[in-house]
Amino acid sequence: MCPISRRAALTAAATLPVLAALPPQQARAAAPAPTPAPTPAPLPTGERPLFGASLWTLPNGLTVVHAENRRAPVVAHYVFYSIGGGDDPAGKSGLAHFLEHMMFKGSANVPSGAFSRRVAREGGQDNAFTSRDVTAYHQHVEATRLALVAGMEADRMASALFPAAEIEAERQVVQEERRQRTESTPRGRFREAWDAAFWGPQHWRGRPLIGWPDDIASLSRDDMLDFFRLGYTPANATLVVTGAISRQELERLAVEDYGAIQGRPAPWPKSRRGRAPVPASPLEDRLVRREPTVQEAAFMRGWVAPSLLEGTDAARHAHPLEVLSHLLGGGQGSRLFTALVASGLAVSAGCSYDGDSLGTGTFDIFVTPRRDTPTEKLEQAVQAEIARLLDGDLTEAEVARSIRQLTAGTLLALDSLGTAPRILGVGIATGMPLEAIEYWPAHIRGVTLAQVQEAARAVLARPSMSGWLLPEGAA
Amino acid sequence: MSGSAGFSLPIQVVQGGGLTAWLAEDHSVPVVSLSWSWPGGAALDPQGQEGAARLAASLMTEGAGELDANSFADALRDEAIGLDFSADRDGFEGSFRALTPALPQAVRLARLAMTAPRFDPADIARLRARAIASARQSLEGPRGRGARAFWAAAYPQHPAGRPTSGTEESLAALTAEQLRAPLGRHLRRNSGLLIAASGAITAGQLAALLPDLFGALPEAAAEPLPPLPELHDFGTQVVPVAAPQSAIIFGQPGIPPRDPDWEAAQVMLRILGGGGFTARLTRSIREERGLTYGIGIGLDSLFGRGVVVGSCATANARVAELLSVLRAEWARMAAEGPTQEEMDEAVAYLTGSQPLQFTDSRRIAGTLLAMRRNDRPLDWLTRRPERLAAITRNHAAGLAKRLLQPEALSVTVAGQPEGL
Repeated sequence: MCPISRRAALTAAATLPVLAALPPQQARAAAPAPTPAPTPAPLPTGERPLFGASLWTLPNGLTVVHAENRRAPVVAHYVFYSIGGGDDPAGKSGLAHFLEHMMFKGSANVPSGAFSRRVAREGGQDNAFTSRDVTAYHQHVEATRLALVAGMEADRMASALFPAAEIEAERQVVQEERRQRTESTPRGRFREAWDAAFWGPQHWRGRPLIGWPDDIASLSRDDMLDFFRLGYTPANATLVVTGAISRQELERLAVEDYGAIQGRPAPWPKSRRGRAPVPASPLEDRLVRREPTVQEAAFMRGWVAPSLLEGTDAARHAHPLEVLSHLLGGGQGSRLFTALVASGLAVSAGCSYDGDSLGTGTFDIFVTPRRDTPTEKLEQAVQAEIARLLDGDLTEAEVARSIRQLTAGTLLALDSLGTAPRILGVGIATGMPLEAIEYWPAHIRGVTLAQVQEAARAVLARPSMSGWLLPEGAA
Repeated sequence: MSGSAGFSLPIQVVQGGGLTAWLAEDHSVPVVSLSWSWPGGAALDPQGQEGAARLAASLMTEGAGELDANSFADALRDEAIGLDFSADRDGFEGSFRALTPALPQAVRLARLAMTAPRFDPADIARLRARAIASARQSLEGPRGRGARAFWAAAYPQHPAGRPTSGTEESLAALTAEQLRAPLGRHLRRNSGLLIAASGAITAGQLAALLPDLFGALPEAAAEPLPPLPELHDFGTQVVPVAAPQSAIIFGQPGIPPRDPDWEAAQVMLRILGGGGFTARLTRSIREERGLTYGIGIGLDSLFGRGVVVGSCATANARVAELLSVLRAEWARMAAEGPTQEEMDEAVAYLTGSQPLQFTDSRRIAGTLLAMRRNDRPLDWLTRRPERLAAITRNHAAGLAKRLLQPEALSVTVAGQPEGL
């Protein structure tokens, strides 16, 4: 899942945007984002926790997570609410995200716009993002400024104002954000249409996070107040602080700044939101769109897949599916790379497994074919690879290679200020046990060939949806 | 202001094999990042061979020595080594990041990529196809089309105006020999080769590593770059693209990094439209009028010169309104300069945020490399807070009057704008 952020990426005009549709092979190799597991398995001796984090709860229900890292005198301060776009009420898609924008418009003791201004004056950086499962607010600051940002964050947790006079201008900002992210490129439009066709345009999983234009247009201040009262309360929040701070200091600071907030009960357990059930397979089997501005065709094929967090026995397939995704479509040397790219049928090909979302996961294949490859031929080549897998021709060597490459760079997660709080915060705020996050590499290393084979059959033998984005006039 | 303002890891100067590297040593995480660069990049691509340097750079990690492309990729990924070569408009860069146990392998593979890249025909064909698809796809939306047109109009007679990644036509026409040529033009030992390192490595280890990594490169002077003319003022240009929203790119001449007013310009431009929600352009265009999701400007340095560029996007019907607010803010800053409060806030941010530059080993190495490219002294960062504090409001206002030219703002609008 790709969370959307409040702030536009202000890419310098000098740099052309990199292809969104090509598989992120470089990113994969360079910046591993460990996806943790819910069920702690027996750990090999000598295994150490990745972040060395600790976790506790305040009397008002606020979950606090701490991890120390002393490279520079800075801290990362994040608050995750266990509510996101997947929890938008029916007909009100985009509410979680619009509300996130309005959280910067003032609270009882912080005037509109002052939050970011004060953070900047103290040399800090602040932003927020909304995903289907969480909404997060964060600041990176020099360590002595932590109390200032925590105080302001606690103030808006307790008393965000949503001033009526500022809603319309911000609604325009959100509509511009929608045009920029989704409507301006054929690929953005296609991805939105894909989800809507796959799950249904009004199903929580099929709606765009940013919302349908008509829904954005009709969201009201009352909608925001209701949503805020429901989800923005300490018992539904997770505070994550990492960096140059001891656990004792954070214990004191968390109580001082957040301890006094009058809590309401959490609306739901962090991992069970009471959302509508998810279809067992896609509603459509085919989506074809032709657009005049498309220069390069794109092919997608997707399946419903179990998620680590879906709370059924099928969650056992989640780690094997991570391995499967790597060996089938994890860049150079993967099966799809060999069958489609090295063979000259495609420019790029890869897999994406979203296995740590609430409710359901997805398993997708993305291909940019070469221009002279007929669509049927490409689909047949993809199907041939699926059939091979289902026939059971996996080897121990390729499973071992994938496990090695998935886990080799885990420690690189420590080489940045924002990675640890994001992984910890998203995990804890969706109900994942801390152990599952800390020992993710051990869980991946425990995956066997038989498990990968079983997971492949559990997902890829089921109905899928295939989609083409084609230049106008293409066959 | 706390004692951490202006925080910087101490920078060591390390010599080895006739080369000099800057090092910010830090053992808190077992990771090492190295970045190095040569002047050149796409600027040295001959006319009609646009994209050669960038494609050549990407081919360097597609097999080298005895390792074919897949084996080379596996050797990197088995140890989570991130090794990358790239070309931008005026430079050719190499970098790697590795966990400390993988450092010897990272050095070996980086050396192989620089000294014995294979450029096998099948790999050339594969990467060429990818680059062509990428070049075509970048023109699908208003943003890519606008950027292409803006730079072409700003520097019509100079490589800076040509697409760094090449075009479908230029990429298709490159011969194998033309594709190898950028390596010979860049990979040399000379004073233009700048090296920076960060992370869990000692000065002694780095000194020993330098000849290992670069010793086999031929010693030869760097190729001269064509001097960059002043940004051509082309007025307002519309690029028709079928889209509900127009992408807008605007710019005007700036000042070079070596100009004594470079930091004053950073302060003033941050106040006008730099990152963060406090900037005037963000307040008046996004917050007050809801005209855009994001607008930002910056002082871009290229070929040793400076250019002020910015970008934003808005619904087609609102382009004229946005541009009029933009020009008005440009003119207001030129006429009045920043307020004292704005100066205080901007300097506080630029000073206070300095420790945040030291949280990621690749970013630290990149910061050091940029300092070297701009000829900064070793104590540049530690003395930055006092330099920033010494910039008066009147000085910044005078600079704004001299630098900002609302009537000379060149603007590209890609989309279907109304009322222009």
